[in-house]
Amino acid sequence: MVQSKKQKYLFLAFCLIPTFIMFSIFTLYPLFSGLYYSFFEWSGSSQTREFVGFDNYTRLFNDDIIPATIWHDYFLVITKVIGIMIMALFIAVALTQLKIKEAPFYRIVFFFPNIMSVVVIGILWTFIYNPNLGLVNSGLEAVGLENWTRPWLGSETWALPSLVLPSIWAGIGLFMLLLMGGIANISKSNYEAARIDGANEWQQFWHVTLPLIWPQIKISILYIVITTLNGSFIIVQVMTGGGPNNSTHVMGSYLYQQAFNQYNFGYGATIGVMILVISLITVILLQFLLRREKVEY
Amino acid sequence: MKRTVGEMLVRSGIRLPLFLWTLAVLYPIFWMFLGAFKTNAEIYANPWGFPEQFNFDNFVTAWTDYNIDTSVFNSLIVTAVGAILCLVLAIPTAYALERIRFKGSQLLFTLYISAMMIPMVLGWIPLFFLLAQFNMLDNIFGLAIVYAISQLPFTIFVLTSFMGTIPKSLEESAAIDGMSPYGVLWKIVTPLTMSGIITVTIMNAIQFWNEYFMALIFLQSSENYTLALAIDFISNEAQYTNAWGVLFASLVFAIVPVIILYSIFQRRITKGMTEGAIKG
Repeated sequence: MVQSKKQKYLFLAFCLIPTFIMFSIFTLYPLFSGLYYSFFEWSGSSQTREFVGFDNYTRLFNDDIIPATIWHDYFLVITKVIGIMIMALFIAVALTQLKIKEAPFYRIVFFFPNIMSVVVIGILWTFIYNPNLGLVNSGLEAVGLENWTRPWLGSETWALPSLVLPSIWAGIGLFMLLLMGGIANISKSNYEAARIDGANEWQQFWHVTLPLIWPQIKISILYIVITTLNGSFIIVQVMTGGGPNNSTHVMGSYLYQQAFNQYNFGYGATIGVMILVISLITVILLQFLLRREKVEY
Repeated sequence: MKRTVGEMLVRSGIRLPLFLWTLAVLYPIFWMFLGAFKTNAEIYANPWGFPEQFNFDNFVTAWTDYNIDTSVFNSLIVTAVGAILCLVLAIPTAYALERIRFKGSQLLFTLYISAMMIPMVLGWIPLFFLLAQFNMLDNIFGLAIVYAISQLPFTIFVLTSFMGTIPKSLEESAAIDGMSPYGVLWKIVTPLTMSGIITVTIMNAIQFWNEYFMALIFLQSSENYTLALAIDFISNEAQYTNAWGVLFASLVFAIVPVIILYSIFQRRITKGMTEGAIKG
């Protein structure tokens, strides 16, 4: 392009600087200043902000609820990864390999919960779990399992596992599509070669499909882990608010409670730092664990 | 012959789970619509069946007595302002990052992309006080700005990859004809990227329409509630008021626009989301 250096830099500044300023104010500054807040005791409303050094971190390590919130987050991570991957894989294989006529219909339906609001999903499922009117308990009664009915979200033991199902329900569609994309890229000749070697369908799945869509599987697992660690608190907040008796608090919902209900903003920021550190470590470890030679046939 | 019978069995064996999952996805949504037409008495007597007659009382009550009218309006504003602002900020940056060579271009791109993986929950505490300082706390325009910036990395990411597919020759010949780079960006690149712009805007709009947690933190008074907050409020109150029908009606208000967008732009949405996940 014919233009002077000065013009070029002016145009570059026009393109980049306003956006970067906004990004700095509303993303970079809050993240760094969150780190900074974690060294203060601060109730927010009054302007008395007291530097307390590492006190908040000491408190973090002595807080009995913290290990529970971390465990709850990982419980959701693990159950979601297993549940979503098995179901998404099954559906993806069924819809691509078995030439089902109504496959597009299934694809459209299964994906839809992915774009529903967490509020809608949470409220729907709260009602499904409702002890008196809900579908789960009525269903159990209808098949004669009255003993199994319980106030699902009101029970300290069952509330957290009950959150897994809505999360899987809402998550499958995206990963089904990701895996279907991977399967569609596998060349037919691979399956023909396997068939000539006498591999049955199960062996074909195990030795051809699975290794060749490993990149998609890896991305899906990473994506589920990241979005769960960074966002599990939303469904918790809608469905249980962390209760009963803290039995469903995850790191993010506990941060919300500490900062915005109890006005311990400094301590809330400390929990935020912990979330950041834990999710970064998890992602790095996971990338290392899922590393595997790229397979090509 | 035996083989085909076996195959048919396998097929129906695989169809059964697919059918059951379809039911699991559709039935709660379908039932939510039915519930919106039922009276409270019907909901208690027969929570999972059909209403005796379809009446729109719940919709009217939700709209007039439960502030759903205001919150639908607020949600529309937040969604529109957020989506437009996000585009205005993202298009020039995406273009510069994709087409202009300059020092630090790769670094800046990496910075934006890595922001997609950072848990923003840490930043929400300082952001709360920042908005208070700007007098934008409990303000739907403040929320719209926060939304726009929160989707900025994703939007830049999608737009750069779309711009990468446009041939450079068009821009070059326009520049040779004496068009300024601003003209090239506005009159050549933006129209050519329109498909990407539409895709990303639909996804941002659905995101903003659905968003709950930032609204919970940054909005306080009920006249500023977005739809998600208003519904959450009705839901919490329903434990005491038992206004379930109204709750379902307001859920229907929230979900219908999403269903409409999905039925029109189904391909764009699914494609955009899967590609965002793969590269993000």
